[in-house]
Amino acid sequence: MLEVRNVSKSFYRKEALKDVSFKVSKGEIFGLLGPNGAGKTTLIRVINRIVEPDSGSVRLDGDIMTDNDLIKIGYLPEERGLYGNMTVQAQAMFLGRLRGLSKKDVNAKIDYWFDKFGINDWRKKRIEELSKGMAQKVQFICAVLHEPKLLILDEPFSGFDPINVELIKQELIEMRAAGRTIILSTHNMKSVEEICDRVVLINEAKKVAEGKISDLQAERKGGLYAVRFRGSMIAFVNALWTGFEVVDKDILGDDKFVVRLKMRGTSSFEDLLKVLIGQVQIEAAWEVLPSMQDIFIDIVQPVEEVSDEK
Amino acid sequence: MRNSLLIAVREWKERMGSRSFILFSFLGPLVVLGLIYLLFAFGGQNKKHWNVLISDPANIFDNKILVQADEGITYSFADGYIEIDEFRDGKKYQSYDALFELNEKVYTNKIGHIFFREAPSVRIQTMAKFHVERRLEEIMVDEFTDFTIEKYRMIKQPLTLSFHDVFDPENESKDLLGWAGYFYGAIIFVFVFLFGMTVLRSVSREKSNRIVEVLLASVSPNQLMLGKIIGVGLSALVQFVVWSLIIGAGLYFMRENLFIDLLDASKMDIIEMASQSGGQTYQDQMYAAYEYNEFVKLVYNKVDFGFMLGTFLMFFIAGYFFYGALFAAVGATMGSESDGQQFVLPLVILLCLALYSGYYVLHYPETTLASVLHYLPFTSPVVVMVRAAQGYGDHTYEMYMSLMILIISAFAMLSIASRLYKNGILQFGHRVRIKHIFKWLKKT
Repeated sequence: MLEVRNVSKSFYRKEALKDVSFKVSKGEIFGLLGPNGAGKTTLIRVINRIVEPDSGSVRLDGDIMTDNDLIKIGYLPEERGLYGNMTVQAQAMFLGRLRGLSKKDVNAKIDYWFDKFGINDWRKKRIEELSKGMAQKVQFICAVLHEPKLLILDEPFSGFDPINVELIKQELIEMRAAGRTIILSTHNMKSVEEICDRVVLINEAKKVAEGKISDLQAERKGGLYAVRFRGSMIAFVNALWTGFEVVDKDILGDDKFVVRLKMRGTSSFEDLLKVLIGQVQIEAAWEVLPSMQDIFIDIVQPVEEVSDEK
Repeated sequence: MRNSLLIAVREWKERMGSRSFILFSFLGPLVVLGLIYLLFAFGGQNKKHWNVLISDPANIFDNKILVQADEGITYSFADGYIEIDEFRDGKKYQSYDALFELNEKVYTNKIGHIFFREAPSVRIQTMAKFHVERRLEEIMVDEFTDFTIEKYRMIKQPLTLSFHDVFDPENESKDLLGWAGYFYGAIIFVFVFLFGMTVLRSVSREKSNRIVEVLLASVSPNQLMLGKIIGVGLSALVQFVVWSLIIGAGLYFMRENLFIDLLDASKMDIIEMASQSGGQTYQDQMYAAYEYNEFVKLVYNKVDFGFMLGTFLMFFIAGYFFYGALFAAVGATMGSESDGQQFVLPLVILLCLALYSGYYVLHYPETTLASVLHYLPFTSPVVVMVRAAQGYGDHTYEMYMSLMILIISAFAMLSIASRLYKNGILQFGHRVRIKHIFKWLKKT
């Protein structure tokens, strides 16, 4: 669907992107991650043809992108705005028409989306009369109004309350189901884990990781397991023999705990369950995988943050 | 182009819907009409009532002079001779505005002297001269002829020498017409500046509220800039049409309803009128002609509105694109909306320079500098209007040459501005430095 091939971009002496390449498949939600100043926004601008790369190319469906392809893209930038003195309806009409829709089509789409988001009453309201969250909804609608094949969202959840975050997530999941491709740039790692199929992580202008979330987690798992049980903590520790090492524990109640531990030597998860059964009442046991937050910090932390993003 | 058009329509609608636009569209021409009305009604007219003391020791006037009640002058007579110092400082003379000294020599040298405290208006001077002349005619006829006063006035043949410029035999007063051109030029600049600032504000607002990034994902920076300039320019054109209609209708209304007499007088030639004899109607007309002739004639008869409007439109449109592109580029290079403050001063200086160049050409139309300013795109819209109004526009090739230079410059400015716009529009919160501007100009 979308291929970013060896893209580099510098602003004066600062390199914003260094030889970045990745592919996004049709019908997936693709996470574009990285710390502030890593080059994400520049990359998004390159894809949107707002900024020309110094070298490399962006291909859409196998062909090098041209201005004509822009109507296939929906874009919600991080620092977004609307014309404060325009009404919601006029704003949507203007942006819809800029994306190539006819007046009739825009009106039909507006009806559909305003109904869906329950904002029909806002049509005649000026943008400046709306709260930040309300304006965010309008911005989201304006980005998807023309039913783009590729939707690029830069921090789409910022400014939304949890209910609206869920609303937007569900929308994105529905779009994916409908075969649309979504590139999602966010610092909200929980959302990334929940809805992204694959991610690319950019740091200091370079791609530092790419792949399915489960693969990235598997690559970085540290042999850590967790057990939730009822019973005595002493009985639990006594049941363990030298093949296991307790890392830490959470006390959930008088006789309820979660303990994280590592295997030693050739000990396996099965061995662990065997020694515990009969000693404590096991409620759950699982392999602890690193969260995206952990992976993100793990990759990025050695590098100082660069705040001046171009 | 479709996208530029959509942007232009949005800009146009936004301007048309704004209160300031509506207010400026309707109040602006009303203010201009009000000023024109004041110039018509009170232009050069001193409303003050004049008390004139006639010192007539020889009793030549016999304490008589014919004055209409509404003429603004009251004459009083003093039998004795009054010294100037005495009149100037004496308490009993302080209520008099002027002293008219009359003695027997007047029969031969036809000279009378009026000493005033404050300079009288042309109207008062004309009236005083008229009153005294009439009275003197009556006395001369009575003293030295057997004619009736009417007969005397009929045979009296005053000679008026009319001076004409060999280059302007019609005596079309270049200065006054030049001012009309200057007015048009100034209007061009005021409109270009006001709407140029609108473009600048609009660009910087889109930058500061960040919608520009959404727009640039659909349109190229050039399309965005061009659409914006066209949209704001269209609203300027609409405003100009509204101004023209209101001022035109107002002038027509004034001619048909408020200033009928004055305008009738304006159609008469003062020289012809002077050779006519007659009573108060003639007198009234003469006053009116003296008072209003130049301005009224200028507005209703002398200015070739068709030619001037045509020239105005051409230079307005080309000048607007030239300056509009400059303003858009400035707006795009600004790091924040508040940066606009520091740009206003140089732009105002540019505006003043253009207006002053028009003023300069008004007075020195045939100097080399005037010719340079005529072709310089920064000043040509106002200078060409002045020179066209003065009649130098008859050399139309010069005017069209200037227009061509302005159009080419406008395209060049659009090209330069588009580079600055493209490279500067997504730069936020920075301090504008000259080196940045040069770098942006170098980048394609």
